[in-house]
Amino acid sequence: MITVTPLKSYNQPKALNPPLKLIAATIFLAALALKAQQPPRIVVLLDPAHGGPDAGAHLSGTLLEKDLTLSLNSRLRAALAPNNFGLISTRDSDPTVPFLTDQRAEIANRTHPAACLTLHATSSGRGIHIVTSALPAPREAADLPSPHAPIPWDAAQSASIPQSLRLANELGVALLHARIPVLLTQGSIPPLDNLNCPAVAIEIAPLSFSKPASINDAAYQQRIVQAIAAGLSSWRAHNPPVVPGASPNTATGAAH
Amino acid sequence: MIPRYQRIIFWSLVGGIALMAAFLLHGCQQAHKRLTALNDATPIAAPTNTNTEDVTLAVANDADASISPNADQVALPQDPSLRARALLDHLLSTYSLPGSAHPLQSGPAVDDVFLVNQSPAPNAAVVISDNAAPVPQSQLAIVNLHDSFVDRHPSGILTEALTIQSIIGTLHFAFPAIKQVRFLVNGQPHDTLAGHADLLRTYPAADTTSHPRPPQLPPDTPDATTDTSTDATHP
Repeated sequence: MITVTPLKSYNQPKALNPPLKLIAATIFLAALALKAQQPPRIVVLLDPAHGGPDAGAHLSGTLLEKDLTLSLNSRLRAALAPNNFGLISTRDSDPTVPFLTDQRAEIANRTHPAACLTLHATSSGRGIHIVTSALPAPREAADLPSPHAPIPWDAAQSASIPQSLRLANELGVALLHARIPVLLTQGSIPPLDNLNCPAVAIEIAPLSFSKPASINDAAYQQRIVQAIAAGLSSWRAHNPPVVPGASPNTATGAAH
Repeated sequence: MIPRYQRIIFWSLVGGIALMAAFLLHGCQQAHKRLTALNDATPIAAPTNTNTEDVTLAVANDADASISPNADQVALPQDPSLRARALLDHLLSTYSLPGSAHPLQSGPAVDDVFLVNQSPAPNAAVVISDNAAPVPQSQLAIVNLHDSFVDRHPSGILTEALTIQSIIGTLHFAFPAIKQVRFLVNGQPHDTLAGHADLLRTYPAADTTSHPRPPQLPPDTPDATTDTSTDATHP
């Protein structure tokens, strides 16, 4: 008589001991809880203004606006990256050829960020100037273009004006908490009007009229960066992002 | 006998004094040139007998980013284009006065202001009545700035935007028929005023009076910056 014995299966995992099961379950639950506590990840576009042949404003001494905005871009990346922000910069170095504002807007509109920050600096005024587009905001939902309608290039920001104003307000509150003077205003500053996302221009001025050189102070810059990071975190908490890229609208080059 | 090291120190000090004297002299000359340029009072227009008029200027203030209406008295020519140019020249010259809240350098600012009549929209409804007042035709103002004004203008979003709003607001107060404003520099389109404010777009001529409010806490939270998801610290 032939007796067939089943082959021993080497692929079958060994059953875990009850204490190990408990530990694994605890770790799994802790990881889940940690993930639930984390704020939702949003993508922020940073646009250090000017660059290349366009030096921007001549700040104190030999400091140029294009260099200061690039430095702020690096500081902001370092402050925001650990806080679950996805970051895109329009430039990470000084380009050798002109880098037009339309090119920056194209990068922003392709990547569908949750917020766009255009970084500027000036030697006039004091504190921080937060500027939103001067385009009129849609009065009612009916004024909004249909989801598949082309958006005029020069008015791409129009539908995002309410969100941009909220973003500017949150950043302004955070800067005031950091005891940095802040002014909220509106203007027609390229490429703000062409951006299809909540967008503000942040212009950094000296801390006070009597200290024009303070704009180059690393401690002052770091205070600004930390306040902006706090403002963005607050904005993210109060305005949960929709799924990035959900809007099928893409700004087109339609002329007015 | 004077030691060698003392002689070296002596002549080094003499050399330093000479250098400092030369530097001081050069600085004085530069300051004198600058002041002379500012005080250039050469008459460039023949005097005319014109009564002053009450005008309203939209005056900018850098400290609070505001535009405020300010009554003033100015002698203006009768021709609308010259009138607009003289008004803007007066406005911008006030910014070069000491203690200005929106400091700009003095010098020529506006070359011309062209007022272009705009035809009404073809599908616009027209109401004809015997006793109706004639509806003024809407106008487009084209402000041709001097290139030296653009070159001298301080670079910055806020200061440039305030200059533009001040010009537009002043034109709106004085010429209600102006509905739109465009800018040229030396007769050519120019991208920005001094690197920031857009000069290529057509601006609506409206009352630009504004007093920006400080940031407001969101109504649903007592403190907008208490988010614990960031390690940002406030002093």
